[in-house]
This record gives sequence, structure tokens and C-alpha cells, in this order.
Amino acid sequence: MSKNYISKINRRDSLKWLGSLTSVVVVGGVVVACDAPEPEMPVVQEESQWPDLKFEVITGPKYGQDPDMINPTTPWPRTLTADQLNLVAHLSDIICPADDGGPSATEVGVPDVIDEWVSAPYESQQSDRVLILNGLQWLDDEAGRRFNKLFMTVRASEQIQIIDDIAYASKASEPAFEHAVLFFAKLRTLVFGGYFTSPEGIGDIGYMGNVPVLGDYPGPTEEAMAHLNDVIANMPA
Amino acid sequence: MASFDGFEYDVIIVGSGAGGGMSAHILTEAGVRVLLLEAGRDYDPLTETPMFNENHEAPLRGVSTSDKDFGFYDATVDGGWDVPGEPYTSAEGTDFMWYRSRMLGGRTNHFGRITPRFNDRDFKPFTHDGLGVDWPLEYDEMAPWYDKAEKLVGISGNNPGVYDVPDSGEGVLQPPAKPRVYELLVKEASEKLGIPMVPIRRAVLTRAIDEREACFNATACGRGCSIGAAFQTTTSVIPWAKKTGNLKIVTDAMVKEVHLGDDGKTTGVTFVNRKTKGDVRVDADFVILAASACETARLMLNSKSDKFPGGIANSSGQVGRNLVDSTGADVSGHIPALKGRPRYNEDGLDGSHLYIPWWDYDGQDDGSVNFKRGYHFEVGGGFGAPSMGVGRSVDGYGKSAKQDVRDNYGSNIGFALRGEMVISDDCYCEIDEQVKDKWGIPVLKFHWKWSEEEINQAEHGLEWAAKIIEAMGGVVTSPKRTGEEAILAGGQIIHEVGTTRMGDDPKTSVTNKWGQTWDVDNLYIMDGGVFASNPHKNCTITILTLAMKNATKLAEQILGERS
Repeated sequence: MSKNYISKINRRDSLKWLGSLTSVVVVGGVVVACDAPEPEMPVVQEESQWPDLKFEVITGPKYGQDPDMINPTTPWPRTLTADQLNLVAHLSDIICPADDGGPSATEVGVPDVIDEWVSAPYESQQSDRVLILNGLQWLDDEAGRRFNKLFMTVRASEQIQIIDDIAYASKASEPAFEHAVLFFAKLRTLVFGGYFTSPEGIGDIGYMGNVPVLGDYPGPTEEAMAHLNDVIANMPA
Repeated sequence: MASFDGFEYDVIIVGSGAGGGMSAHILTEAGVRVLLLEAGRDYDPLTETPMFNENHEAPLRGVSTSDKDFGFYDATVDGGWDVPGEPYTSAEGTDFMWYRSRMLGGRTNHFGRITPRFNDRDFKPFTHDGLGVDWPLEYDEMAPWYDKAEKLVGISGNNPGVYDVPDSGEGVLQPPAKPRVYELLVKEASEKLGIPMVPIRRAVLTRAIDEREACFNATACGRGCSIGAAFQTTTSVIPWAKKTGNLKIVTDAMVKEVHLGDDGKTTGVTFVNRKTKGDVRVDADFVILAASACETARLMLNSKSDKFPGGIANSSGQVGRNLVDSTGADVSGHIPALKGRPRYNEDGLDGSHLYIPWWDYDGQDDGSVNFKRGYHFEVGGGFGAPSMGVGRSVDGYGKSAKQDVRDNYGSNIGFALRGEMVISDDCYCEIDEQVKDKWGIPVLKFHWKWSEEEINQAEHGLEWAAKIIEAMGGVVTSPKRTGEEAILAGGQIIHEVGTTRMGDDPKTSVTNKWGQTWDVDNLYIMDGGVFASNPHKNCTITILTLAMKNATKLAEQILGERS
């Protein structure tokens, strides 16, 4: 990671963060974005202690407008360093540990998904790359400020102390954490996205489609209808 | 008869989407010989559709990128909001987006397959509210053609007995799919508010016809459909036309000019061979333009002659004018009562099984509604294939956050408003003489401005979507917006039509009601350009129906002249 600190005077006072992670809703077979836009990155102030590192833009190769969709390949190289990937992996399992419903994020390869994501030559992923890489740096900086060590070398309880300060939307109002909160929210979205789109995650969340059902669509099960009738009976008057 | 590459033909068709594909089918079936020119590459849904591929197999888990605007697996080839080397420009203050594809079958390969027909009032908007113009057609004249087109395309749905949704003929429609849980809940809430929610008409087969199979209730229609259940010209009308032996298709043929002869008739077209980059001139007795509303207008405006300095068949000056899209505004809600609901397979026909048609004609008539044209809500939600955004709304981390993602799955509902805009002098396209595409063809420049009509309509939609969400005990999760903030960009709904409108008067319209240009009697337009207005009903089925009706008449004329 190159540390190209830029003096505060030259810092851009606002960066637009484009996002492709809207909750999508399929309407008539066409996917429409149906959600709030990505939050704008707040101004970097003295007290924010956000590294605000700049990175060279990744320019290609893209998969283009006519890729092989039957046997897809990803044409761009991954760019996370071994240390970054380790940190991402560690955080991925803090965010998405194994539980009764399914395995942990690393067990299904989520760090690779994130590496592919932040290395992609598209505008939205490039914005995410800046946020994620700065966030990883911030974690080390913050561990240094609090415990004089890198994040990965402090105790688990000390890591959680830091995470607890940035893992909740309510913390965004604190200038010291407002950028890191956005970083963590983005990372969490990528981790859960990567996990629940994996074959194991699809089973975990209970998606039962993408299998041919011959004949008429059977509609809801009896159990699903019973639940619905209950919901209807309790609708607001 | 003209000939090309050893193939003799009567008619050149430019474009292989809804209008061009249907025209080719009708003409070749009748015995007319057709040379079909398609700007994009050849495309075969049987072998190219990623039917069961999962998101984790795709780069970036299949999310949208600038290369694939509707996600990695969307059928669109070499197209999108930006086509490399084929720009368009916008006037200052204009926010217009133009979606194109460069493939056989055009945009029919990925469209939403929502196929509502217009009602009597849709054909006479001026008569009802004094805005825009009436169509030179009556609903009664169109109804039997709608029946024929719906039967041929294969439409599932029903006759719900709602004024906005006219009945199809006996035996025309295939059975609609059963509604899902979240749709039944929206129906319950809507009906409490006095709003109907009915089966949506979609070009998705629930019964096999000809070589096309019934939908097997899986995979997204936007990817295309290798079994032919979701209608696209590349699995139906184009292969049928090929089978007659009367069709020759030339792909990678980007048409740049329509020629005019001394006798005032068109003599054919010139296209750029996209592979060799050379110009190829092809003659014809008849030319049908079906390149999409805006491409057709561009082609005509670029075809200048002494007789038509403003573009071929443009003595009215209306080519490129009257550009209309559907209005769009999206509202999403979270329904706590649906959290953790019992799982089952909600794929069905993909997309909506029920929708909310326009319900307040009375309000428009008595003035209690402050806009003149209607809209409908397409309703989305359910247990879709998990995507990268699936965990976006949770807070915290660890097991509780992971459980929150599971609980929230299937508990969000989206309302997509799709409405009618009023024709306006502010909305049109023209040639930008300063800019050419990579083929040397001058590009389009768009002008766009929403009026109070559309803003008020969007505002109304925001209000009613929120009412429905609240009636379900839900909360609106979209940000609070005014109608002006919520309305999507012009062109974004990809229902752009009207640029070569039909009419009764050659002074104010480009074609007659048969799609025949007033000025050049062997030049026809069979895409959405001929729409005289753009009702809130998704345009493809009406493009198909008009092309069927008008190509049938043209075939009769050509065969009559021949005998």
C-alpha cells in the first residue's frame, strides 16, 4: 500500500461515491434498483483521522459488452496484498462467522470475492476500492493509536473494541468514526453479498428457485399461505 | 425484384426487433421475399442463453457494470446506455438515456415481456383531455389485431374486467401464473384502499405452442429464453420467416442512408458492413424501417435529398419530434410482518404475476387528480436469487447480523411506477452535425424536459405506493423525494416512441395509419416511431400488433401487384 498522504488543503472536500449495491427488485423480468443511493463520503476533517490515501485507478481489462455468459471468466488480475487479504479474511469472519445456519465467510471464499471486487476496472468498484483500502489502513492506524500495534496483532477483545465503534450506523455521527462506519458498512455488504451468493449461502438463506418446475407454477405452500393469512389478519386497520 | 448476393427480394427491412421481426414473418409467410438488415451480430438464444448460471459463476457476482447495465447475464449484446464508438449528445439541461443493442432480435431479447394492450381511450387522448393528438385508429379496429398478435406471441394473463385492461378475445390468452405471497399481500392492502391488483399480461408461455415450450418457472427472462417461453423474435418470428425460404438476413449491416429515386420513391438503402467497414448499396421495391424509434428517425434525418433537405419523408418536419418515453419512479418498502416467512420457490414466471393497473380515470375526468394521463405499478419482491445487495440493510456484525440478513430476505417490496407522459415540444431528437459515430454517421442530439403533468403523476405515485406499503404495516425505505426528484431520466424506461408518428394529416404526421410514409409511398415505418401517443402500457405488444396489421396490408398490395 503506497502512502501518498495529501495535505489537508488539497484534499477534495467531497467525493461522490457511486454504488452498485442497491437492493434490486425484479419487475417484469427486468431488474430495477429500488433503494436509497449510496451515502456521500463526508468531508475529511482534522479529527476524522481517516487516512485518505489516493490510489492509482485500475484501468482494465474489462469483460466487455459481449462476454461468454455460458462459461464466464474474470479478465482482471487481483490486487490485494497478502496482508490486506489476511485482514479482509479476518474481518469477513468477524462479520459472518459460522453458525447453525451455515459456514463462515472464509470457508466459502468471500475474501476472494472481495479481492476480485476491489480490483475490478469499473467505476463503482473503484470507488469501493478506495473506501476499503483506506478502511483497512484506518484499522491499523486506530489499533496503533489505541494499542500501539497493528490491528491483526492486538488481542481479539481489543479488535472488537474497535469494531464496536464502527459497526453501527448510529456511530456515524461521531467525527472520529464517520468514515470508518461507511467503510465497515460497505465491507459488511460485500461480505454478506459474497456469502449469500455462494452455493452454501444460497442454501443457507433458503432460496429454492433456479430449478425447472414443469407444469403450472404451484404457488405458495400451505405453510406459506397460513403465514400470509396470519399477516393479513393482523394488518393495520 | 432487386437482388443481393444471389438472393432476389421485394422488400428491405431495417431492424430485427419487434417491428422488423414481425414484419418479416408476416411478409415471408405470405410469399413476399425479404432482405433483413440488422446492425448487430447474429445471435442464437438456443446456444447463447445462460439459463441456469448462478451469480457466483459471473464476474462480480453478476452485478450491473458499465459493460452490462442490467447485470452480467442480461441478454443485451454490444449495447447498453453507451455503445462504444456510437455516441449521442444532449442539449444543455437534458437528461436523456438511450438504450441500444447490436444483435439479431434487438431489444426483444431482454425486454420485460409485459404486454398490456391499449384501451379505446388510449387511442383518443386528445379527445379526452385536449393534449397531444389522437391516433388515426379506433380501438375496435385494433382489437382483432391485438387478438391475433397476442395469440401468435403467446400471452399469459386474463381478462380482469378493469377498464384499463380491455378484454382479449375468447381463447386468446393463456392461463396466468398463481400469485406469490407478497403479491397477495399487496393485493389485500391495495383493495382495502380501493385499488385493483390483477394478473399482469406477459409474453411468457404457460402452455406450449408450436416449437416453443411452456415456461418451466425458472431463470430470469432478461437473459433471453432458450426454450422460447419468453417471447423474443430470435426464437419465433425470425426462425419462422427463415423457414419459408423467403428471407435472407444480413447481420453487421448498419444502415446509414435511405435513397430517393427521381420518381419520388425510395430505391433502397446503403449500409456500412461493420466487419469490412465498407459501404454496401442495396436496391429494393419497398423499404420498411424498424430500427427503433430513434434510430429510424436518425436514419431518415440523415437521408437528405433536394426534394427532402430535412430528411426523407419529412415534409411535415415531424421526424424526430414528439419523442416520448414512459415515466418511471421507484418506491421500495420493508414489511416487518414478512420477516422470516416460510420459504418456498417464488421464481414462477420471473417478475410480476400481479400488477396494479391505472385505477382513477374518474379522478382525471372530474379534476380531482392533477395530471391527465395514467400509470401502473409493477410490483417486485420475493425470494429471488440472492444478489450482492442482500445484506445491505443490516447493522452490526456477527451471528445476529447474519440472522438479520436471513430474516429480511423476501420482506422487501418494490413499486415501479410506469406512466404516460404527454407529448411536448420540449422533447425531441435531431441530428448533431458536429458529431459522427465510428461509421461516419452523424449522431442524434436529444432534447428533454418533463412537464408538470409528469411531475404531478410521479408525486401521486409516490404518495400511493407509500399508502399501500403502510397499509401492509410496512415502512418506506426509499428516501423521501418530490415527484421531480423521484422521476427517472427520459429514455430510462426504454419505451421511447413517437418520433415518426402516424396521423390523418400529412402536414402534422409522418405516416398514415398503415405506417406508410405520406411523402414516399414505398417507404414504411414499423417500429414504435409511429406511435401518436405513449400510453402507460409497455409498448412492445402494440409495436408487434401494428407491424402485423400493416405488414399484412403491404403483403396484399405486393402480391396484388405481382399477379
